[in-house]
Formats: sequence, structure tokens, C-alpha cells
Amino acid sequence: MSIFRKLKEHITDVLYVWRQEMKQVIRDEGVLMFLVIVPLGYPLLYSWIYNNETLHETPVVVVDQSHSALSRQFINDCDATPDVDVKYYAADLDEARALVSRQLAKGIYLIPSDFATCINRGEQATVSVYCDMSLMLAYKAVYQTAMVEAGRLSAGLKIKKAGNYTDHENSITAQPLIAHDVAMFNPSGGYGSCVLPAVLMLLLQQALALGIGMSAGTARERNRNGQLIPDDDPHYRGAYRVAWGKALCYGMIGAVAAAYLSMAVPRMFSFPQLADGKTLLAMLLPYTMACIFFGMTVSCLVRYRENVMLLMVFVSIPLLFLTGVSWPQSSIPGAWQGVSWLFPSTFGVRAFIRVNSMGASVSQILPEIRILWIQAAAYLGMACIVYAYQKRLARKHVKTVTNSTDLIEPDDQ
Amino acid sequence: MKYISQFFDIVLRELNIIVRKNRIYGFCMVVFPVLLVVFFTTMLDDGLPQDLPIGVVDHDNSATSRSLIRNLDAMQNSRVVYRFASVTEARNAMQEGKVFAYLYIPEGTAAKLMAGRQPDISYYYTMTCMTAGSMASKDLKTISMLGSAAVGQATLSAKGATKEQIRTALQAVTIDAHMIANPQGSYNYSLTTVFVPGILMLFMALLSAYALGMEMKFDSGKEWLARAGNNILVAILGKYIVHALVFLLVIFSYQYYIFNVLHFPHLGGVWSIVRLTLLQVAASIGFGIFAISMCGSAFPVAGMDPPLQAMSWLFPLRHYWMLYQATVLNGFPVIDVWFHLVALVAFTLLPWFVLRKVKIAMLNYVYIP
Repeated sequence: MSIFRKLKEHITDVLYVWRQEMKQVIRDEGVLMFLVIVPLGYPLLYSWIYNNETLHETPVVVVDQSHSALSRQFINDCDATPDVDVKYYAADLDEARALVSRQLAKGIYLIPSDFATCINRGEQATVSVYCDMSLMLAYKAVYQTAMVEAGRLSAGLKIKKAGNYTDHENSITAQPLIAHDVAMFNPSGGYGSCVLPAVLMLLLQQALALGIGMSAGTARERNRNGQLIPDDDPHYRGAYRVAWGKALCYGMIGAVAAAYLSMAVPRMFSFPQLADGKTLLAMLLPYTMACIFFGMTVSCLVRYRENVMLLMVFVSIPLLFLTGVSWPQSSIPGAWQGVSWLFPSTFGVRAFIRVNSMGASVSQILPEIRILWIQAAAYLGMACIVYAYQKRLARKHVKTVTNSTDLIEPDDQ
Repeated sequence: MKYISQFFDIVLRELNIIVRKNRIYGFCMVVFPVLLVVFFTTMLDDGLPQDLPIGVVDHDNSATSRSLIRNLDAMQNSRVVYRFASVTEARNAMQEGKVFAYLYIPEGTAAKLMAGRQPDISYYYTMTCMTAGSMASKDLKTISMLGSAAVGQATLSAKGATKEQIRTALQAVTIDAHMIANPQGSYNYSLTTVFVPGILMLFMALLSAYALGMEMKFDSGKEWLARAGNNILVAILGKYIVHALVFLLVIFSYQYYIFNVLHFPHLGGVWSIVRLTLLQVAASIGFGIFAISMCGSAFPVAGMDPPLQAMSWLFPLRHYWMLYQATVLNGFPVIDVWFHLVALVAFTLLPWFVLRKVKIAMLNYVYIP
């Protein structure tokens, strides 16, 4: 056979598998759901949940035993901040505790009876803050507001005592060294802007893996012998051709999903978006490919189409943690760092956050892009190996009886 | 008597499915939960992120700037790993993910500070990882406040003020923080106790839905009902008591591990934990059965709208969490959160309303993949 004929046959087989796979995807409600509805709808729901971004007006109960002008000033200052709302006054700590117990307040400010006396005598005064630790965000709001307002009150007292002549002198007394606090790339510190880019990229991997896995499950259930790769169809003879044919089909879907997730969703909810097109393409191309081949490799583990969903549900939150978006990458234990190298999402998410939220250029995410290409190649190899293995199984299968351990024989239709 | 023997027959049937026929149950009920517990407790073992990589741009190169940097390096949550020549270089390193924050000390800072000309320093931190960003900014804020205080302290002691007077002058009002039930502010205590039970509840709900879906898919529902004497209540109870017992065992082991071995705080005591666990398991399974028969009778679990799946676990989880933080973590009386307790009981009883529907589905349903 001449090399051209062989090449032509090769291409025909790939195209045939592509067509078959596409048909199967369109016919299968479940697969279509995961490949189309999930990437379309889920980010909208998620963004909607986190659209408020930050926690404001955390309710706080005050126990003011000082009843002085200074204590009232402190309470007013705290109440005026965006983070804390002084909602209740209690006579004593027990009453305040009861309010926290009934979930009406998230923290207690206790101003002792000697508060003003201490300050006027030139001694240090203390405000006790009791925080409910069940919500870290609420704790931070309650505690940091008290810290900032105490600092401001102290500075005011310092200025009064200093006996300066000009405003400039006052400002130097209060703050001899000015420190500018600059939060970058997510200046409002919004939770959605921080987590959502990671969720979007993870979703791309999960949706592709779910779709491919479920379609593999369907193929297996429809096949007479419960096999993943049809043993009677000549077009499916090479594992490499099957892998590429399927990759073309899912690549079509993945490309649209990736574009939608990386460009449309952040814009719809006005999350940070500093990415430029070429950089985005440079990272999304290897990422989508790595996800597809990863999904193919995983799909060989699937016996029933529903099982892949349980598997993906199990891994999604740990995977989000491994990307380093909620727990800093530098604090992830070494063993888990190693595990995280197995998943495309780890590097896809990191690269996307840097490109999208931090405006990084290609050279700045080069290590991630390289690893994604390596993963794509490695998972392509793995997918070919497992497909070849499945084909061998399919051939052998004629003799053996189908999984006697099945709940009931998968029905052939 | 007849009911009891039928009940045990169903229990044995379900045990057979879980142990021998479909391995996914073993994975979801035992293997995955164990992995999850190991994952979260080892991942968050430090409690707080420590030694976050931070860079400095020191154009001043004075004794004061060096002491600021040394102090920053000595903070528990930060570590100075890079010294950059320019701010651009520092920003590039941040975009490459090498540092979470950097401190910029311009030329002449020390001289201006001594002369009382109010110099500026700046610190920049990224909020794309909020935990890291807020931790680093806290340390940087403390450092710059210390820088201010150092000047005041030197001036005051030169004027002959006592230590007491200096302390009062620098900070007239101090905050005495009490972090109830989690004095270290550990993320392990607050995240592990949400994510592990949350994912487990999701598994319980999904698996109970899955179990019903599988009966339909393989058309074994008729046999299941027949063995329960066509009594749907016996059939459901027998089937799900097995799920409930396995999950109870798994969750109690998880709780033994976190409360007795890792010593997570639990001011509420043992009884509150047991009560909450029983409710958690019952409500999740109840919700799962209800969800599949509401959403899943047209097409099985797999076809369920995933946002809906997300919702389906969000709802019982919300009540679980409210009860957890009030009764177990803080040890508040349960009467203050009675509503959430009632909600969980209601989730447990939800399948009661769909018993007939399940029965009809089992007898008539045809699965189309």
C-alpha cells in the first residue's frame, strides 16, 4: 500500500469516528446536558451567588459599661464603617451572648466601665472583642473594624495631647510614616472575582471529562458485549485514529465552551478581565486538549454512565483546592503538590488567573503552558494505550461471559 | 412479623448490591470519604498559611529600611524571598506567581523619617488568592505601623517619658480579642468541618437518588417491590437503612478522628454531635429520594440539571451548618436554632409524600439511555 493511500485511509477513519461520536453526543440527552447546558448555565448560577462579592454590615452587639462620650464615639465610629453594623445594645455579656446564640449578632464589643477614666488618667484602655468564629469573613470584619477604630481614636488623642500648631504637624504626629495599602488585581477584595475564574476553568475540565465519560458509558451500554470500542467496525481499527476522531468531536465543543467561559462570562458579571486574545489562545489551546485527552483516559474507568458523575463530584472541590486559589500554593503540602501535577486543571486555572485577572503575558505563564502541552501529549499517549487495551479486551471478549458482577446485564438496544 | 421478615429480606438484598454487585457504592460510601478526610486534614494541617513568599524593593538601603525588612521576615505568615531592583520587576514576579506581595521603600525614607518630613512607603498585594493576600497585607500593615511607632518611641524616650507613658501615647485604646471556639483562627477548624460533611451530604443524597435510578434502569424495581410484599414503605426503609447505617459509621469515625485525635473545638459536647449526625444522614437520604422522584422520573439521575443538583445539596447543608456552628462549635442551646432542626426533620420526612410516585415508577418505568 502506498503511503498516500495509507494516509488517506487514516484520515477517512479519523473523520468517520468524528462523525459517529458527534452523532452519539447529539442523540444522548445526558451528554448534551453536560457538554452544553452545564458550561452555559452553571457559571451564571455561580456568578449570581457570588455577585455581592463582599460581606457588609456584619451585625454586632455592644455592651457599653462606660457610658461616656469616648465610648459613644468609639461605638459611632464602628457603626459608621461599611463592615460593621451596631445592631443591638445589651446590658451585660450574658445578654449579648444570648443574642449571638440566636444568630442575631456575629460579635460582641465590650467597653469596660473604666474605659474613659483610664484614657483621661493617661493609662491604656481596653475594649474586649468577642468573635463568633464560625464564619471567617464575619470574624475579620468584626475584629479588624475594632482594630482600625481603636487606632483612629488613639491617634486623635495623641494629636490633642501634642499641642501642635498646624494640620501638617498633626498629621505627622498621627502618622510619622505613611504607608499606602494597595490591593492589586482584585482591588475590592471580592470573593467572586477571586474564585470565579478558577471555577470557570475547572468547569471546562469537569464538563469535558463528564461528557466524554458519560458518552463512553453510553457506548459501552449500547454495545452488545459491553465494550467501549466497537469490535466489528473496521473504521475503529487503530487506537490512535479513535483518539483523534473523538478529540475532533470534543475539540469542537470544547473550543466553544472555552471561549464562552473565558470571555463571555467574566464580562457579563464584570469580573476582572485583563486578558488579551493571543495569550488566552496560547493557554486555552493546550488546556482544552489536555482536558479532552484526560477525559478520554478517565472514560475507560466508566462502566455505567451515571458513575462518572459521582467520580467528578468527588474530585471537584479537592481539585479547586489544589489549584491554590483558596489555599495559597506555597502552603500546599509537597505530597499534594505532586498529586496536583496529574490534573490539567491545576495549571489551567493558575495560568488563566494570571492571564485574566493579573494581565500576565505569554512569557510569564510559560512554565504552565509547557506543562499543559506535556500533559496533553502524555494523556494522548495514555488514551491511545487504554483504547488499544480496550480493543484487545473486545477481541478476547467473545469467549468470556460479560461481567458476572454486573447488577444486571447492560441491555442492548 | 411478616413485615419484619420482608424488611430483613430487603436489607440483605441491598447489602448484596452494595458489597458484591456495584462497586461504586463501596467507593462513594467508604473510599472517597476517607480520602476526603485525609485530603482536607493534611492540606490544612498548618491552620493558617505560613511563610508566604514576599518580595521587597529597597531603594533606601538604610538601617531603618533593613530593620523593617527583617521584622517582616520574622513575622509568622510572611517570608522575604526576593529583593527586586525595581517595582516593575516585582510586579512581574507577582504576575509569574512567585510572590504574593511586595514592599516598596523609596530612597530617602530614613532621612525624611528622622527629619519629621513624613515619608511614604507602599505595599502591594494580590487579591487573586484572598487567603494569601489578606494574610500578607495584615503583616505588612503591622510592619508599617511598627515603623511609625518606632519614631514616636524614640522621640518620647528622648523627652524622658516612662515606658507606661510611651505605651499610652502610642496606643491609648487597645483591643483584647477573644476568638471564641477557635482561638488560633485555624482554617482547618472552619473549612474541614464544612467541606467534608458538605461533600458527604451530597454523596448521600446523590447515592440515594442513584440507588432508585438504578432500580429503574435495570428494571429490577418490580422484584424489589415484590420482595417487600408490595409495601413501598417496607421497601424504602429496608433499602435505605443499609445506606444510613454505613454512612453513620463513616461519619462517626470521621468525627472521632477530628474531635478526639486532632482535637477540633466542640464546645457543644458529644450529645450535640450525635444528634446532628443522625439528622444529617436522615435528611440527606430523605432529600435524595425526594429529589429523584420529583426530577428523576422523566429521566434518571444523570439527566438531572446540575445546578439543581447543586441546589439539592445546598439546602440541607445550609441547615446542617447552622446547627453545627451553633450547637457543636459554640455550644449554644439548640432551642435558639430550632428552625434548622425542624428543617432537617422535614427533609427526612419528604419521601413520605412521594412514596406512591416511587411505587408507580418502579412498576411502570422503562429506561431509555
